[in-house]
Amino acid sequence: MTPVSSKQYADDVSLLMVLIDTNPLFWSSTTTPFSFSKFLSQVLSFLNSILLLNQLNQVVVIATGFNSCDYIYDSSLGHTNQRAETLLQKLEEFVIKDEELNKEDSVDGIGSSLLSGSLSMALCYIQRVFRSGSLHPQPRILCLHGSQDGPGQYVAIMNSIFSAQRSMVPIDSCVIGSHHSAFLQQASYITGGVYLKPQQLDGMFQYLTTVFATDLHSRSFLQLPKPVGVDFRASCFCHKNTIDMGYICSVCLSIFCKHHKKCSTCGSAFGQPQISVSESNQKRKAPDN
Amino acid sequence: MPQVRIIAKNFMDMVASLPAMKLDRLYENAFICEAILRSLPPLAKKYVLQLLYIDAPVTASSLQEWVLVDGASKHRVAVDRLIQLRIFTETVDRKKEASYKLNMMFQMNLRKHIVHGGVLPREPMNANIAVRLPSLEELDIYASQQWECFLLHLINSAEVEVTTKSISPSMMKVFQRGLLSQRDNEGSRLTESGFQFLLMDTNAQLWYIVREYISNSEDRGVDSADLISFLLELSFHVTGEAYNMNTLTDIQRTTVKDLADLGLIKLQQGRKDSWFIPTKLATNLSISLSDASSRKQGYVVVETNFRLYAYSTSKLHCEILRLFARVEYQLPNLIVGSITKENLYKAFSNGITADQIISFLQQNAHPRVAERVPSVPENVTDQVRLWESDLNRVEMTPAHFFDDFPSRDVFEAACDFAREYSSLLWEDSKKMRLIVKTEIYAHMKEFLSHQK
Repeated sequence: MTPVSSKQYADDVSLLMVLIDTNPLFWSSTTTPFSFSKFLSQVLSFLNSILLLNQLNQVVVIATGFNSCDYIYDSSLGHTNQRAETLLQKLEEFVIKDEELNKEDSVDGIGSSLLSGSLSMALCYIQRVFRSGSLHPQPRILCLHGSQDGPGQYVAIMNSIFSAQRSMVPIDSCVIGSHHSAFLQQASYITGGVYLKPQQLDGMFQYLTTVFATDLHSRSFLQLPKPVGVDFRASCFCHKNTIDMGYICSVCLSIFCKHHKKCSTCGSAFGQPQISVSESNQKRKAPDN
Repeated sequence: MPQVRIIAKNFMDMVASLPAMKLDRLYENAFICEAILRSLPPLAKKYVLQLLYIDAPVTASSLQEWVLVDGASKHRVAVDRLIQLRIFTETVDRKKEASYKLNMMFQMNLRKHIVHGGVLPREPMNANIAVRLPSLEELDIYASQQWECFLLHLINSAEVEVTTKSISPSMMKVFQRGLLSQRDNEGSRLTESGFQFLLMDTNAQLWYIVREYISNSEDRGVDSADLISFLLELSFHVTGEAYNMNTLTDIQRTTVKDLADLGLIKLQQGRKDSWFIPTKLATNLSISLSDASSRKQGYVVVETNFRLYAYSTSKLHCEILRLFARVEYQLPNLIVGSITKENLYKAFSNGITADQIISFLQQNAHPRVAERVPSVPENVTDQVRLWESDLNRVEMTPAHFFDDFPSRDVFEAACDFAREYSSLLWEDSKKMRLIVKTEIYAHMKEFLSHQK
């Protein structure tokens, strides 16, 4: 018989936080390759398989809406036999509530979903798990994201990414939209997670189980998709534009696209920029705006 | 006497050692598939999940591609285990390339699970039973009491008045086999493994007993595969819920009665129905033994003057302490003893090792001292080890003796050969005789035959 020491493998217990993009603007757009219901059925199967792998595994699902986000499923509560029903019911309630909030103001710009909010909620949940009890599963976050990045959320998202890095929580991202997401690329790169944009979304379950079901312990000896290139561009604090080059406050490292007299974040006064530098800067950043 | 080795293996090793026919039949039960999947090493779990929706065989090389160089050994362990459990069927084609395919039955059951989610093996009974169900704490207390009672019964049926009414003598014999040696004139004595058994933690003990129970099932006319599948199914029941006895088959009903004696299950009788309530012991059965969450609270305090205080009301604890310490007072909730040379010598002669005693003291340290490092004073642990090494002044090495060498050259060559393996124990160059360790006897023989 092969001696398989049970101690060695005791650390594959995981807590998976799944962030589902429920943004109606993304799912109703014509460029979306498959329907929300199809997506959900694949994700539900994936959640079932995670819970199947280890009896101590825990799954928490957070819906990322357009105006709000909320916990819609927690496997540590409730019974096993009505998993899908509870999740779907909560999801429906969430979507309705999210829509009601929307009536107050009109949709502006690209209609990105509230990723920063759900990331922070996931991190809060993980912190709570860390602080309760001595034994806790290894946490990781999986973002199933489709809508485009909202540059306005840049600061909030970067802050969540750094706090995830600090608490050693990898952020995996599976991009289901048609564009790459610079935020998620950076998130996965900084926290050591996996970033993947599946080519064929019909086989999403297979992508999810082969790549994202891998526990952190096994990742150290498996070959997982490597990042091809990471878009490191930042958003400026003044107009929330994505820029290649700009001004940085030497005191608090805030980023600006134009020269200001005073830093809007920390209030330190800037000197006059040298003319030649500012001219070349303005030339370079032009195509992005 | 056949030597029974007590190894804390898990349920799945037992499942893996079943004959192919029985194993294939086991996979018809969805709960067994689930339990077995959970018992696999993480990499193996991943492979199963990855191949779940692939019907064609997958070549070994394409599976290997996922693994980094460091993980090669883990990969091998995972694949070996899958083949051993017959989850993977291996086929080798003409180009000597191996490919794997999932067991059909296993695959189907898991697919079903993934689509429909988990199902409970049995619906619990309605809450409107006339009798109040025991709370979880009461159930835990019941389980540990029953288990202790059983252990006491097991080790010295002579000294303790018989409180358990039910465990059938033939059943007891089965469990005692290997742990006790029966002698006609002086009654039963604990064997070496019996002593070791008492010092193991509850999960390991439970597993040993369950293993004996399963391996003995054929004699009782119960199919071992049926028994294993029932036990695994039992571990998927919810602790503390009541399940109707009517849902069981006749064989399962007798099994349940046996398990109730061990504290795995509590039986209750209502006016019309009777039902069983699984305890934590039963639901932990399929979980790997190293699970630390099931550790109980300790009760032993050892002081630097070799005195030992055990805050316990249990007779069993007293009996266990008696194995290696002199019990001086027994108060209602406290046992006071001291670790003495004589008692330890007695323990060593019974086959208990110093390490076992020390690890027992450490594992069962009272919460107040458990926080300290070390939890057992160093001078005590050192002395226990020293006393043990006192008894082992003579070291035995199995060896082979060579003489009658044809010439001095051959003798010298043989000595050098043995030295190379660092297995030369003794040589006498005058009379040309030497002694080597047993390990290299075969090499030595081969070497000498070439010399001639």
